[in-house]
Amino acid sequence: MTRIENMISRAFLIGIIKMVDKNGIQNALEWLREIGEEMAEIEGPGFEGAREDEINYLPVCPFSNTLLDFIKIYGERPSQFVELINLSNKQMMEAEDGWDYPALTTVTGILHHSYLKRRGMMAGVELLNVGSRCPRTNNFVYNEKALEKANMTKEDVDKYLEKAYYVCKINYLKKE
Amino acid sequence: MNLIEAEKLYENSVKILKNNQHEKGGFYASPPGTRYPFIYPRDHSVAILGCIEAEMMDEARRGLEFVLNSQKPLGEFSQRYDVDGNDASYKDLQIDGNGLVLFAMGKYFEATGGLFFESMADRTFVEKHWETVKKAVEFILMNKNEEVDLIHTVNSIHEYPAYEHGFEIYANSACCAGILAAVKMGEALGEDVANWKAEAEKVREAILTRMYSPRRRSFIKCIRVKEKSSNPIGYDAFASSVIDVDVVEYAPAYFELIDQHDIKNRYTVRRIHDNLWDKEIGGLNRYPEIWDRNNGGYGPWCHFTCQLANHYIAIDDEDMAEMYMGWVLDMSHNYLLPEHISTIERFEIWYEDYTNAKILRDSKLTMIENIRNHPKWKDGMAYVTIPLIWPHAEYIRTYKSYIEKFG
Repeated sequence: MTRIENMISRAFLIGIIKMVDKNGIQNALEWLREIGEEMAEIEGPGFEGAREDEINYLPVCPFSNTLLDFIKIYGERPSQFVELINLSNKQMMEAEDGWDYPALTTVTGILHHSYLKRRGMMAGVELLNVGSRCPRTNNFVYNEKALEKANMTKEDVDKYLEKAYYVCKINYLKKE
Repeated sequence: MNLIEAEKLYENSVKILKNNQHEKGGFYASPPGTRYPFIYPRDHSVAILGCIEAEMMDEARRGLEFVLNSQKPLGEFSQRYDVDGNDASYKDLQIDGNGLVLFAMGKYFEATGGLFFESMADRTFVEKHWETVKKAVEFILMNKNEEVDLIHTVNSIHEYPAYEHGFEIYANSACCAGILAAVKMGEALGEDVANWKAEAEKVREAILTRMYSPRRRSFIKCIRVKEKSSNPIGYDAFASSVIDVDVVEYAPAYFELIDQHDIKNRYTVRRIHDNLWDKEIGGLNRYPEIWDRNNGGYGPWCHFTCQLANHYIAIDDEDMAEMYMGWVLDMSHNYLLPEHISTIERFEIWYEDYTNAKILRDSKLTMIENIRNHPKWKDGMAYVTIPLIWPHAEYIRTYKSYIEKFG
């Protein structure tokens, strides 16, 4: 049920669909990343979520309520969302620096990965998103290159994905 | 009360503060390897206040340096930080942190000067961090509602939005006192802080009128309002009041916005004592049991009991002061103080409630194990999170006041 006071979040999801239709998938992908990065600059360095040793994870999916409600109202997962996820995950697999990409399960993951990653960079760490769990299907998705760089196995990540939706290895960058 | 034992607890509390300050300046909320090995500005600020009282000025300055350097770009001090000063929060805004940091900094500034304030006060430190102070005050004022002149928050001292989302007494008192501390520091530096002073006075007046119930003869916990800029707030979706007794209704006096002897404060403390003193095991509970957010089982908290002991010391009620402080002393185990104390029966009720409701988080499992393994379990008691640094800092403040007044 939409009320004027809570329409912004749904309007944003419709905005993503419109952006893909008007400017193409690649542009929409970059647009979402830029929003996440700009919000990170406003918020400053840091990590959000739970932490165990050098693992940072989100025990709840931050956008699942909004996203799942939207999909129900919309009737199905918008094709534009699927195209964005597929493109991002294709880039993750093909790019030399594929470890830099999210193991994506939802379209909103593009936004929060760029946000969390930039905040981590400002704090002097690289967040490697080794795996994610889809809030809709509970399927696990991994980032193979991030796993390799983090020196972790899928089994290592599964332990966290049983209780989390987004799992990152904290990779401390050497200070000059 | 056994004053020799009381002194030993004081001495160990000083050691606890020293041993739980990370080399970068942050005070852990509880030691590494236990439940809260992070730096929470709320707990951290009280640890600094404890250091000041124990004349550990170097530790206090390093603690302030740590938290002031960790300020977020908009001026906020977030819920918690890691030892490097990186924001590691997982909860929404807790604006009392801004007030507490400023309040502790003001106390440090006063204490460095003491009787020779003009010549001795650490102006260099305040000058160095003046831009941070400005941003911290502006962030508080950014969250002030112009219709009622109160500061809006989502969480406050109990991190419990169901009862704290809106204009909450502890957050408002801390923020008001924080701005007033910034005003004092600014005046000492010759800065123009007239606007801050006027704004703080508006907040103070609003606390004393809008958050005091003459018919109940008590401050109230919270005016629930969803959005900080709601205007008129009467149309806000949450518009209502929380009138249940909460131990932090004592906050206006704790933060020195009113005198300890003020009748509003004395009546409020009476209501707190009547309703929250634990009739089975003594000590002060933080809020009514029926709020049912009692991790580890409902029971009294050491640092809140210390705070009210301070009140009784201030109004020269030695019997009550001894009853409160003596209880804290009795509850210490090997001169260590827990977050709070419960009984096995209450622990099991909490465990049942949370298990049945499926709201028992994984992170609580270690806490449960520690409670069951603690030697006091065999005495029928549940000691929850021991040691916690906060009660040791509050105990230092209480002990020093007690000895100064009655010792």
